[in-house]
Amino acid sequence: MSAASESARAPRLWMPSAGVTIPVATVLLTLLFGLVLIALTGVSVGDAIGAFINGAFGSGYVIAASINRSVVYTLVGLGFIVAARANLTNVGGEGQIAVGGIAATAVALYGGVKGLPLGLAFIVPALAATVAGAAWGALAGVLKVKAGTNEVISTLLLTFIGIWLVYWCVESSALLRRPMTTTATLPESLEIANPTRLPLLSGDPSVPLNIGLPVTVILVIAVWVILARSVFGWQLRAIGLNELASRRAGIPRAALVVAAMAIAGGFGGLAGAVMLQGDQYLLKAGFSSGYGFDGLVIGLLARGSAAGVVAGALLFGFLRSGGINMEMVARVPSAIVMVIQGLIVVTLAAMAFWLDRRKVTR
Amino acid sequence: MRWQLLAVFLGSTLRLAVPLMLGATGELVSEMAGVLNMSIEGMMLTAAFAGALGAWATGEPMIGLACGIIAVMPVALLQAFLSVTLRANQVVTGLGINILALGSTTLAYREIFGERSRDLIPGFPQWSPPLLGHIPVFGGAVFQQVWVVYLALALVAVTAWVVRYTAIGLVVRAAGADPRSVDKAGLSIVRVRYGVVLFAGFMSALAGTYLSIGDINTFTEGMTNGAGYLAIAAVIFGNWRVGRAFGACLLFGAATALQFQLPDMGIPLPTALLVMMPYLLAFFAVAGLVGRQTAPVALTVPYRRAA
Repeated sequence: MSAASESARAPRLWMPSAGVTIPVATVLLTLLFGLVLIALTGVSVGDAIGAFINGAFGSGYVIAASINRSVVYTLVGLGFIVAARANLTNVGGEGQIAVGGIAATAVALYGGVKGLPLGLAFIVPALAATVAGAAWGALAGVLKVKAGTNEVISTLLLTFIGIWLVYWCVESSALLRRPMTTTATLPESLEIANPTRLPLLSGDPSVPLNIGLPVTVILVIAVWVILARSVFGWQLRAIGLNELASRRAGIPRAALVVAAMAIAGGFGGLAGAVMLQGDQYLLKAGFSSGYGFDGLVIGLLARGSAAGVVAGALLFGFLRSGGINMEMVARVPSAIVMVIQGLIVVTLAAMAFWLDRRKVTR
Repeated sequence: MRWQLLAVFLGSTLRLAVPLMLGATGELVSEMAGVLNMSIEGMMLTAAFAGALGAWATGEPMIGLACGIIAVMPVALLQAFLSVTLRANQVVTGLGINILALGSTTLAYREIFGERSRDLIPGFPQWSPPLLGHIPVFGGAVFQQVWVVYLALALVAVTAWVVRYTAIGLVVRAAGADPRSVDKAGLSIVRVRYGVVLFAGFMSALAGTYLSIGDINTFTEGMTNGAGYLAIAAVIFGNWRVGRAFGACLLFGAATALQFQLPDMGIPLPTALLVMMPYLLAFFAVAGLVGRQTAPVALTVPYRRAA
């Protein structure tokens, strides 16, 4: 039982060495394969690598942009590992981001928060997003407890519903669509006002790191402490490992399942707020653009470790930034980045087999 | 006029439901045996591309169909190898394969077709059952369809029968309900699950080639556009029964047809709501609002012999 053996051990901030070397080697090999592909399409490999490095690490601005992406990934991944501790698989990150984005936009634009003092102008929409995401996640938890619904299925369906809710909100003038001034008005919301945006860490707008970063760092540590050291974390592990035994021990399983899913969803909702209030500033169709699915993959590949989530999030964040620049500057088809990413996901998922086996025989 | 509208609506419902039916029937058999096959989206897309490529290169839609089926087999084998042999997480491998399929078909399409993307690709001929085709108003609009449509209906019926009445069906269902007993009976869970994933691949291949060379006679990047996920939703809404999943596909096909027809009829229902409806219905179904749901017990659970 892979999940069992994995969660039976105390979660660590740092992963064991083979747990690091195997994924790193996989990623490097896949990237190498990507370079071969790039060469095959006739683009100069040197140009491509140059564009990638420029796009991922070339300036303070792009590093900050990559880190901002990693922040979103980290949040979704953290939510995933909290639920996974109770042996629950939260596939719903994408939908939780979507409803978080809707809630943040709605409150920032129409919640009358613009004039609030002490940073409440941006805190309240972010909290609303967190609550919306938590509700979206908790719904799957409640269904699991009340109707026995497999949370993989319910969170997957809720994801599609959430994605289309965004479309609906920006398509309908009665909801969040900006007032139509011309017939050409795009289906998107108004831009949120300055005070409701996440404040930048430095006054320098060429390094657009925002307050989402320190908050996420604190949350990483909090999740690690809670999973490793708290009664709550221990109870989650207990219901994940043995439902019957935990019930005999008087652990309130139903409440914990709902709580775990709500926390996972809350992280997703907060990720939506960070994307909307820290980067995009307006809601449009396709707003979540795959971050939730990538975050799910990161959460899974982290194998329960908060540090693993951070590592995976950084990898995906810089990959995405570098890939975008490779397409713009070196004219590498963006499809290649997609191929590489797909390969990384598939290979790392396959690697879990050898990692688990190693653990069992040890 | 009103009858004509209805006829067009019924015809396009059937036309749009066919890829879902094929995908959902394959997916259902796979899920019955315990494998949640998230990659049918990617399989459909792979077949849509390979089918278009084969038909375009040779001028023969039948060769296109063969190419579609052949191209999907490695994808299905990969999915089976990952989720059955390596016992990897089925959701993640499925998503990974879908990203991979979207990336590679887009890449190959641009490299191979490039500027020739406007070339006409030969598609399947149309056919209608002897008498039904002559019904006034409805005959042409509803029954005059590409022959794959009738093949799809037949395959759904055959699958329903096999699953229900034959030993193969029993083994497939048992592999998802109680894998240990199948193993104890001396049958190989691994083989059964490889078989169902390949079957899902075959059905997805038909669905994919139907999309590209049966329906619109061209390939566009990412043209499946969620049809695979819709097929999964149909399986769920259909409560893991072939007949009900078939009904769900018709319902989802009707919802899609309405998206195109409602604006013509002047009814201001938001498109997003119609697109969302299949997922919403499937969600209500798993929430237990539409009777009791019974997912296969071992769905997404890899089989391991020693406890």
